[in-house]
Amino acid sequence: MKLTETGEARIHGYLYILGRSLRSFMPHAVALDALREVESHVRERIAQEQAVPAEREAVERILAEVRPPLEVARAYFAEMVVEEALSTGGLGPVARAIWRLATTTMAGFFAGVALFAGYIIGAAFLLTAALKPIFPANVGLFVVDGVPRAFGAQFPAPPGAEVWGGYAIIPISLAIGLGVLTLTQRAAKTFLGWWRARMTGSIRKSGAVESSR
Amino acid sequence: MALENWQEQLRRGGLDLAILLSVAEAPRYGLDIIRHLEEFTDLVVTDGTIYPILGRLTREGSLLAEWVADEGPHPRKYYRLTGSGRRRLSEMLVHWEQFTRKIGRLIKTLPERMR
Repeated sequence: MKLTETGEARIHGYLYILGRSLRSFMPHAVALDALREVESHVRERIAQEQAVPAEREAVERILAEVRPPLEVARAYFAEMVVEEALSTGGLGPVARAIWRLATTTMAGFFAGVALFAGYIIGAAFLLTAALKPIFPANVGLFVVDGVPRAFGAQFPAPPGAEVWGGYAIIPISLAIGLGVLTLTQRAAKTFLGWWRARMTGSIRKSGAVESSR
Repeated sequence: MALENWQEQLRRGGLDLAILLSVAEAPRYGLDIIRHLEEFTDLVVTDGTIYPILGRLTREGSLLAEWVADEGPHPRKYYRLTGSGRRRLSEMLVHWEQFTRKIGRLIKTLPERMR
């Protein structure tokens, strides 16, 4: 089937959106190659179609079988960024995947906020442990009139406050900080695994799993 | 919902193996792989989502991709197994056969009325 200008415009529009989505998380050359491959697929499918009067229907059917561009981009994201994050488990790849999801999906946003808080809290405890030997009078548990008021580092120390905990603060803060960071990282990976399973589940062809040959 | 998740995980686990099997004998391009999978399995995947998986298998070194411009009406990206892909496929087949044999044995212990 040879496309009219309208059909060509529809294909170009589809590829334009897909290209923009892919380039938002892929290196430019990789995105171009992926786009070229999807275009090749679409054009091959169109070439195999018999000429039909309702060109629009045929084009829409082919594009629907490829799936909407944002969905295809999400599949690339899942196989590229999320897969790397889950297989390496590294802080960088996990953070990159979470950041991308936080800026593009509702669930990702809430998960991102909670995980960001976890990373910050963990890092704050580690920083407290690191600062204690340098500023012993400004780091620890601040107690005013026998009542604990704050924990961490304060410059200057609150007037009338005693610093409790001594150097025991260091191992305690290290343990809590590392514990919180480990739990947060684990939660981040669990979220990515959940998102990938949900995403791949939602884009399969309806009834594909149920059917049997 | 739990059954759907299990089916999805099963499908996902089998898909890598199915794709590697599709290109084991001869190089194939994406649409050809999809048609091949649709012909022999019900691991039907949406057209646009097989390419990211092919990309991952290529990055992992199991497949080698090459554009061929002068074969069809449009350039096609052909995939073929690499040496490490062939080794991986052999290992996957051994694991798969062992797995299905063990599960099959387990199923046979179940009384007929419960199957």
